[in-house]
Amino acid sequence: MHPSRRMFRILALLTALVLAAAVSGCGVTRGSDDPDNRRLRMLIPNSVGGGYDLTGRAAAKALEDNDLTGRFEITNVQGASGTVAMQRLLNEKGADDVMMLMGLGVVGAVYTNKSDATPLKMTPIARLVEEQEGILVPADSPLETLDDLVKAWKDDPSGLTVGGGSTNGGPDHLFPMQLADTIGINPNDVNYISYDGGGPLTTALLGSKIDVGMSGLGEFEGQIKDGKLRVLAVSGEERLSGVDAPTLTEAGVDLVFTNWRGVLAPPGISDEQREYLVDRLTQMHDTDEWRAALDANGWTDNFATGKEFEDFLAEQDARVADTLKELGLA
Amino acid sequence: MDLLLDGFATALTPENLLFATIGVLLGTAVGVLPGIGPAMTLALLLPVTYSVGADSAIIMFAGIYYGGMYGGSTTSILLNTPGESSSVITAIEGNKMAKAGRASQALATAAIGSFVAGTIATVLLWVVTPFVADVVVTLGSPSYLALMLLALFAVTAVLGSSKLRGFIALFLGLAVGLVGTSTGQARLTFGNPLLADGIDIVVVAVALFAIGEALWVAAHLRHKPLEIIPVGQPWMNKEDWRRSWKPWLRGTAFGFPFGALPAGGAELPTFLSYATEKKLSRHPEEFGHGAIEGVAGPEAANNASAAGTLVPLLALGLPTTATAAIMLVALQGYGFQTGPTLMDDHPDLVWALLASLFVANTLLLIINLPMAPLWAKLLRIPRPYLYAGILFFASLGAYSVNFQAFDLALLLAIGALGFFMRRFGIPVLPLIIGVILGPKIEEQLTTALKISQGDVSTLWSEPVAVVVYAVMALLLVAMAVTGARKPSPSESPLLDAPGDSNDNKELVER
Amino acid sequence: MSTTTEELADKRPLHPLIDKAQYGLAAFLALAGGYVLYDAAMLDDAFADQPVQPYTLPFIVGGGLVLLGILLAVATARGDRPEAEEGEDIDLTQGTDVRTVGLLALVLIGNILLIDWLGWAITGAFVFAGAATVLGSRNWVRNITVGVALSVGSWYAFYVLLGVPIPAGILDGVL
Repeated sequence: MHPSRRMFRILALLTALVLAAAVSGCGVTRGSDDPDNRRLRMLIPNSVGGGYDLTGRAAAKALEDNDLTGRFEITNVQGASGTVAMQRLLNEKGADDVMMLMGLGVVGAVYTNKSDATPLKMTPIARLVEEQEGILVPADSPLETLDDLVKAWKDDPSGLTVGGGSTNGGPDHLFPMQLADTIGINPNDVNYISYDGGGPLTTALLGSKIDVGMSGLGEFEGQIKDGKLRVLAVSGEERLSGVDAPTLTEAGVDLVFTNWRGVLAPPGISDEQREYLVDRLTQMHDTDEWRAALDANGWTDNFATGKEFEDFLAEQDARVADTLKELGLA
Repeated sequence: MDLLLDGFATALTPENLLFATIGVLLGTAVGVLPGIGPAMTLALLLPVTYSVGADSAIIMFAGIYYGGMYGGSTTSILLNTPGESSSVITAIEGNKMAKAGRASQALATAAIGSFVAGTIATVLLWVVTPFVADVVVTLGSPSYLALMLLALFAVTAVLGSSKLRGFIALFLGLAVGLVGTSTGQARLTFGNPLLADGIDIVVVAVALFAIGEALWVAAHLRHKPLEIIPVGQPWMNKEDWRRSWKPWLRGTAFGFPFGALPAGGAELPTFLSYATEKKLSRHPEEFGHGAIEGVAGPEAANNASAAGTLVPLLALGLPTTATAAIMLVALQGYGFQTGPTLMDDHPDLVWALLASLFVANTLLLIINLPMAPLWAKLLRIPRPYLYAGILFFASLGAYSVNFQAFDLALLLAIGALGFFMRRFGIPVLPLIIGVILGPKIEEQLTTALKISQGDVSTLWSEPVAVVVYAVMALLLVAMAVTGARKPSPSESPLLDAPGDSNDNKELVER
Repeated sequence: MSTTTEELADKRPLHPLIDKAQYGLAAFLALAGGYVLYDAAMLDDAFADQPVQPYTLPFIVGGGLVLLGILLAVATARGDRPEAEEGEDIDLTQGTDVRTVGLLALVLIGNILLIDWLGWAITGAFVFAGAATVLGSRNWVRNITVGVALSVGSWYAFYVLLGVPIPAGILDGVL
């Protein structure tokens, strides 16, 4: 047989097979018009297993399992602390089937990486959770209270070593800078040491390699309960249950700072689409499954949509920009 | 001891044995793929596992963790595409062995070495975990810097026959390691945010090994009918055993402590093991052409290091690798309070995990050893399909991480570098090590000096650092003495043999 | 650089002379080193005073590359010759087969250019079939069949079994 003819037959056969598969319903990538069963995509700005990822997957699972949406296609877009994912969301302009999980760290990263894909260009959908920052010292540290810390820090701003689990522009970096600013220390003098996440930061604290650590407290619960680390203060509006430490405001420092996570959609989507997403997430917020995820992960509920989230986003963006510009990082 | 027996009783119930088997098979499957590793698999499985009991999930995780190590080395040896960063070194000798028809032996020494190392390390874990935890946190950046410098020092052992070319490779690697924004400013990123996180070592290794090799073979493919790669003897012979057992033990000795160090890294012990075996081998000339010691040592080291990682995890709740971090999340998801109290509060869980590590390791040996000769037969497929398959596989791995065409372009660019390195006889290993060590050295040095506010004496302020520098000094003296006794004949003409090159120069002028 | 490589490799067995292509490598090293130095010079001081500035290591590495480039050029002039890597599948007595390498590179470049549009399920098959054909497997019906089986199979394995949604590209809605 002539090779090209045989070739043609095989191709025809394959085409037939693919079509048959599609018709018979094997098409795993096909969407549906039913609002309760629409196939959606979610972008996650860091690797599998990170904070954004856990939040995003928990939300997607609650949506899927309660038949609020169809299956999610979850894509982890790593790179430049979320800048790459934001760029991709910007490129999806007008796409009606995609949302992206993001948070404070992404706002900062967009500035430190000097990217055009800023949060304010996107369509805000909802804020989901927040996490307070804690100020940690080793058990044998001479710093007993926040006052001790403020005093020691003011005496020798760059002599006090401050560790955090994020790179420049991340929450653990923004927090000490804003704290320093609030108590009258030039953020440029802060001796911030960036560790690669909570694990290395804990090690440095336990070994008393640094004076103070600033981080979300989730990864430190065991150490705190065991008395190896002490919390001087937490950064939210209210005290954190289970942690015996005052808020900054209670301790006399006028600052409220939380690390939050929320959902954005691409720019240029229709009002109906925006309302659809807001509605689905609002319903998701009331599910038992979402409550259970909040508990299991130690996230604080901080749900907001519409104007409230829009204003919040704008305020956060401005605040982050101020801090980073002062440091010459944006 | 009762606790240990209870642990085995938990791990060996039929149900948990099933989960362990699923775990090791899954782990092997994902370990094989460059780009997808055990950490990602665990994270993806996390939501699923909450429906089964904590002990079953943890046992399956142990299987995936160890399975990933085995899978990574299998592709390193057979296809020259390391699936994990810790099996990069394995590819260097392992693939050469495979090409020479000794794939079965390479796979067997890897499997048995991993088993031996994993078993010893698991026993060490039982014994030392309660005690070393407090020691581990006393190590700071000065100690790590000293260890990294020791590793850099060991690079001299792997520079190859031409020191000049070895240094070229090392510096190219260091330059690749500079890419990224780790210092807060973009270095060598060409303004591209896709390069902000630097270039992943697995991408560099797969590109240099697999793509570079495929291009090089394409340029020089034998045009006469190719002989099929002989499958050879299916098992290790006496000589193989004799040459493997010491590297296994030495590899374990490197791997376990490095795994237990919070900033040790999984690649470092494999590379130190390789350098050591090369120095100690009675057949140094075989290195670079398929020396079994060069597979046995690093493979033992990476498995021992995987077990070592669990020391800080269980004793302090400190994750030191991505995989360990996910296991920690899983434990917390089950409501366990991780941290220093875990061993006291939930001894049953901890011992079940330790027992299941042993079970997973045994299962892997039982599954992998008979598979070695079968895998080796994979190499009998015709050359065009073999290399096409390698390219397919490498592309899939690079693409599956971020779904970005850019990553494929990066793969091709570094592959082209690999091609020219082969053309000019530049060794690949020093480059790989430069990529690994450069950023680590910079990070530790920066952190150390930042904490001390520029006081250099901090660098020898920790006992471990002092000991390491002393060892380096001793090695230097030893090398100077042996070096003076027998000068190496195969140095680059520039550095050692000006006479020869003058002769050549005359040739040119004629 | 590849043409000089070819000329040289052709002559090699007969004339063990200077490897002129190695000057190209030396120039590449000097250029790469020069760029690293330039890039380092463009960096600012870090925001807090610190002893190890972001440009410290790049200056060392860049300087090292330039120096190595010069050393290599000198060594080449004095007759240093590379030992190209040998292997089971490699025949160094033949010249560099630029056509095969070029075609293979084109297959990979094609994959890079087309993957966003066509999706892995199609370009993966193209990579396999293209590479196999270029490397001498003339049975291209089989090449394509095996390639399609591998790429579609791997796509489903990732999407369904691993939950890693590789974009379907043009086949979105079909697969």
